[in-house]
Amino acid sequence: MIAFDQVSKSYDGVSRVIDKISFEVLKGEILVLLGSSGCGKSTTLKMINRLIEPTSGTIYVNGKDIRKQNPVKLRRSIGYVFQGIGLFPHMSVQENVSIVPRMLGWPGHQINKRCRELLDLVRLPPENYAQRFPDELSGGQQQRVAVARALASDPDFLLMDEPFGALDAITRDALQQEFLDLKHRLAKTVVFVTHDIVEALTLGDRIAILHEGRLEQVATGKEILQHPATPFIRDLFAKTVNRLKAFKDTF
Amino acid sequence: MQENLWIPYLLERMPELWQRLGEHLFLTGVSTVTAVLVGLPLGILAFYRPGLRGPLLGVVGILQTIPSLAMLVILLALFQRIGVLPAIVALILYALLPIVRNTLAGLQGVTPETMEAARGIGMTEWQQMRLVRIPLALPVIMAGIRTAAVVAVGIATLAAFIGAGGLGEFINRGLALSNTRLICLGAIPAALLALLVDFALGTVERAFDPKRNRTLSRRTRFALKLSAVVIPLGLLVPVVVSFSPSAHPTSGSAILEGRPPQGVVRIASKNFTEQHILAEMMAQMIESRTPLSVERKFNLGGTIICHQALARGQIDLYAEYTGTGLMAILHLPLMTDPAKVYQRVAGEYRNRFNLVWMEPFGFNNTYTLTVRKPDALRNQWKTISDLAPMSSGMLAGFSGEFQERPDGYPGFQRVYGFKFGRVHDLDPSLTYRAIAQGAVDVIDGYSTDGRIPAYNLVSLIDNKKFFPPYHAAPVVRQEALDLHPGLRDALAPLGSLIDNGTMMGLNYEVDEKKRAVSEVVREFLRSKKII
Repeated sequence: MIAFDQVSKSYDGVSRVIDKISFEVLKGEILVLLGSSGCGKSTTLKMINRLIEPTSGTIYVNGKDIRKQNPVKLRRSIGYVFQGIGLFPHMSVQENVSIVPRMLGWPGHQINKRCRELLDLVRLPPENYAQRFPDELSGGQQQRVAVARALASDPDFLLMDEPFGALDAITRDALQQEFLDLKHRLAKTVVFVTHDIVEALTLGDRIAILHEGRLEQVATGKEILQHPATPFIRDLFAKTVNRLKAFKDTF
Repeated sequence: MQENLWIPYLLERMPELWQRLGEHLFLTGVSTVTAVLVGLPLGILAFYRPGLRGPLLGVVGILQTIPSLAMLVILLALFQRIGVLPAIVALILYALLPIVRNTLAGLQGVTPETMEAARGIGMTEWQQMRLVRIPLALPVIMAGIRTAAVVAVGIATLAAFIGAGGLGEFINRGLALSNTRLICLGAIPAALLALLVDFALGTVERAFDPKRNRTLSRRTRFALKLSAVVIPLGLLVPVVVSFSPSAHPTSGSAILEGRPPQGVVRIASKNFTEQHILAEMMAQMIESRTPLSVERKFNLGGTIICHQALARGQIDLYAEYTGTGLMAILHLPLMTDPAKVYQRVAGEYRNRFNLVWMEPFGFNNTYTLTVRKPDALRNQWKTISDLAPMSSGMLAGFSGEFQERPDGYPGFQRVYGFKFGRVHDLDPSLTYRAIAQGAVDVIDGYSTDGRIPAYNLVSLIDNKKFFPPYHAAPVVRQEALDLHPGLRDALAPLGSLIDNGTMMGLNYEVDEKKRAVSEVVREFLRSKKII
């Protein structure tokens, strides 16, 4: 479980990028942080593994205040899939996937076994892909490697920062489905950042909507559609729904 | 000597070529490796401390702009010794800039996204540096190291000026003797070496690039790794050869030692023909008349370097000129009486430096103004004053030293009351050729220079007796005379042995007939029946 308690972040001491947000991520769920760019969703995500430190408030991971944990150890226990993929270009697929287990000091044969397992899991047969380098893969394949790397040490938590944002629509759809599939099998707790409402509705067990650093509503997609908490949310979803409707009517 | 006998010439020079190549690689290798060991951490430091970047890059940048010779002379003064140490330090200082700058640029060039990923998956600072930042910066860092190594190969040719050996030895000697073949013997291997060093480092880089290797067959990969080991090791062979005990006495192993081995006399010379001949003459006398062996440290880069080496006991003797001792070393006022100059200089040297002036060789190698013989005949020039009416239209080619010294051009203008239309700054090795080819009309010559008759030139009479006497004599450390009792007697027969005409003839044999100094000297000493 991850919990935010009255967390704020300010870079200049005056204006708050994040303004007193409190919410919980329940064990085993996918919580989507939804918002337009600049609303603070990536900042919120990065505070969970201390890439960014909050100005005030407390964040708990597994019931423990993260400020009392070593940031390096904390990060190794949380899988992270980065915006823009973030694979290491000088390492092969295998090396990228093995990096966290290696840092954790796993024995070599176990790392190799885990690596093959993960590549099979993300549908990149190791015999074809293990020795390739990131720039020899398509965007979708790179993203699968990134997911495999985040899962390598079998962490309980997975943070995903617009992982499918840079992909074309078809690849994105496929990966979203695969990801859901994967998620059901692995039972991880996931915090997923996106600005794409359809993606949020597709993947999220619950959706947390951020607007200008404030948390507007945290609820399931259905609840939000039926009972939007603020006019901002109503408009946001109405626009998308209308667009989809208009699209349907045209054809 | 025929210019087309390159192969026998090379074969004859091969042992020394190997030795010089070894010294050159030693200088380059030690300095580049040290510069990497110093430069990489400095680059990393500059990366972590932005406040240090400006000052640090400023300092290494300024070091780079110091002309190489000036750098060598400054370090010489700083370390108070000639030889390998100041040379290596100079090379290290030059190599720092490309290494530090490229290290910093490479580290800065890694994208923030990649570094956030490294941090985000839980790498410590050190792991981020070691596993991500440095590997990604490596191609840029390697480019810096390659630049540094190639620059070091080039600058190491100047190390010979301060007695550190290397291929520059040939170039120096070639310049001093205006012998193109000798210059090429140093310059061409140095250029090839620069290419080879760059290639060797490139091979190492390729061999350890995992990405490129994966597409190669196992066999090519093996060959690449093998060559990455073999080529750099191959570069070590000449180093080992030159440091092996059987090598020449002036080889790498000898120049590394501060103190000479027992029974060795170290003789130096400045970097021109006459100095070589005199030094070789003293060496052969000592070798044939005493059981001592001689270490030849010829071709040091000038008066000051020779004198400092002598005063500090790094060499035991060299031939100096009375006028030079008076003015350049002792900074005493101009005097013209040869006997008085000798007495004064010898007395001051004994008091100030505990150095002994032996009996002069006999000739007076003073400055002269030298013109083309046909010009002199046509214009009826006999004395320097005869030039005065035409001087404003004349083009002079003077060595840098002549233009600076009080007994050179500055004093000349005062005493003779005229100056030349324009003055070109020429290297001493080029002045004679320049005037012979008509590029200049008058040069500063040396009265014993063999090239004066060879190029059909003539020296004008110093009718106002401006130029001080320059009688050459062996200058020896008193301690060396005490330590080797036979030394004084061995050199004594050289006193008053050589007049101006004889010296000019010996210079001519070497400069124009391109004969080996040792051969010319041996022939002369045998003809005088003193060896």
